[in-house]
Amino acid sequence: MSISLPTYKRLELPLLGRRERVRAIIATGLKKEFRRPAAIVVTAIGAAFTTITSIVLLFFAPLFIPGQASDLSFFAVPASNGFVLFFVSLMAAVIGAGLIADDMQSMAFTLYLSRPITQTDYLLAKAAILAPLVSMVTIVPLLLTALVAALLRLVSWTIAVEAMGISLVIGGLLTLFYTAITLFLSSLTRRKGIAAAGVFAVNFGLTLPATVLANQIQNPSILYASPWNDYLAVASAGFGAAGAGIDWPAALAILLGATVLAALLTYVRMKAVEVITG
Amino acid sequence: MNGVVEAAAVSKWYGEVLGLNAFTASFGKGITGLVGPNGAGKTTLFKLLIGQLHLDQGKITLLGEDPWNNVSLKRRLGYCPEQNQLYGWLTGQQFVETLLRLDGMPPAKARQEATAALKVVGLSSAAHRPTRGYSRGMRQRAKLAQALAHHPEILILDEPLSGADPAGRVHILRTISDFARDGGHVVMSTHVLYEIERVTNNIVLIHNGKAIAAGDIHAIRALIDEHPHAVRIETSKPRQLAQALARMDHVVSFEFPSADMLLVRTRKPDAFYRELPQIVADTKLEVQGLESPDDSLDAVFRYLVG
Repeated sequence: MSISLPTYKRLELPLLGRRERVRAIIATGLKKEFRRPAAIVVTAIGAAFTTITSIVLLFFAPLFIPGQASDLSFFAVPASNGFVLFFVSLMAAVIGAGLIADDMQSMAFTLYLSRPITQTDYLLAKAAILAPLVSMVTIVPLLLTALVAALLRLVSWTIAVEAMGISLVIGGLLTLFYTAITLFLSSLTRRKGIAAAGVFAVNFGLTLPATVLANQIQNPSILYASPWNDYLAVASAGFGAAGAGIDWPAALAILLGATVLAALLTYVRMKAVEVITG
Repeated sequence: MNGVVEAAAVSKWYGEVLGLNAFTASFGKGITGLVGPNGAGKTTLFKLLIGQLHLDQGKITLLGEDPWNNVSLKRRLGYCPEQNQLYGWLTGQQFVETLLRLDGMPPAKARQEATAALKVVGLSSAAHRPTRGYSRGMRQRAKLAQALAHHPEILILDEPLSGADPAGRVHILRTISDFARDGGHVVMSTHVLYEIERVTNNIVLIHNGKAIAAGDIHAIRALIDEHPHAVRIETSKPRQLAQALARMDHVVSFEFPSADMLLVRTRKPDAFYRELPQIVADTKLEVQGLESPDDSLDAVFRYLVG
């Protein structure tokens, strides 16, 4: 058998910076996600359903809530749309849970880290993949709702623009929270099913018992344990609506604290992770 | 300490399991073979060298630098893992390109270098097929392509020949030799001593996490020649292949562990590996994979460690 092969010379190549390397991870990650029908379906249905229900809620708010003024507080109604909670959990579970766990399981992580990227680069890229997708449910529907409300002359353009600004901040807070928590859970295991179960546990496992218990014993402070109720408190305060039973500064501190803590723990976990198999 | 790899009393535990046990060795320039049975600690050593494991004791350097969390050092090395990984939906071209982009290579340059690297390993014709459809040998070559595509100073290859078909082995060994001839360093692991013999005389034997012998291959080979060497061949027609191989006078026995598997024992492994591609080509029988179980090497290790 005779085979002639070309040879190569080692070269000093002009290499692009860190931003480009992170962008390469993001591009690959997004391609991976959008090859999965589940990810596309959940994102599309989540964004569409949340947007439509938010607009419907807004449209019928005067009927559901007698005396509801057509001011900024109007937008607390779509912001507290329960479908946001449902779809954000679903998206975090379907898309986010596997972002790190899958790479650990398939040992793609080994190849990633054999390149000149840091764990921080890797995590930033993973967050940059998940956060925009989550925002399709947490931010985009609120922005569209405000736009539709202005177009239908339910509110003035001034109020609509103000609502969009607040929606960006409040929706952004929820996006950051779910991104950080989901990536943290995903970094803990090689099985994305476990991480996905963790996302549901954080949402419904805390929200439902906390709500039931708070009603049963008439102690609203238990609602602080539920991230969704914390979000509702902050959203209500942001739009100047009636309180959700708990103080918004404390709720905001809990949400921000949990987000920062989850991000830090994920960083520490990934920094220390040793790629044993492969 | 001025070797390409310097390891001084390196120990690594996985809980209560000892991965490396005071491993001490110095790997010089050119190609060094790390030979040992499965579970000997080869992959652990490689993971330490590429900075993906942190040692518990001792000191290890690669190209004079501590590899742990050393991002700049990663630009200088090319790593080929043993396991098949990354995303199977990527084509060979995309697979190599993606990893080059992670190196910070501009897109056009990454495309060009990926194409060149795939050509070097003989995968040009399959470059635009998804890697999930590749045979094991093709995957090994794709992984080798990504390891050398960014022009590293050193290649760290974990069992690069595992599962490769005869033609693939020729390509891989040629590529490794060419890389070293052009001034690169290579550290490659195998549990088949005869394969590494074709590209280097420098070997380090590793067993139970310890370096038990290092240096010239010939003395160690003489020890191994006393033990029949087992080769497991994956083929759809094992009996026909056995019939063709029976003309080799050094073949001791045949076994058929499964319907698509042939286990051959030979007293002259070097001759066997040399003659096999020709026989396969002559008989037009398909060989999907080639592996050597550890047993013959184990016998030598038992001898060396007393």
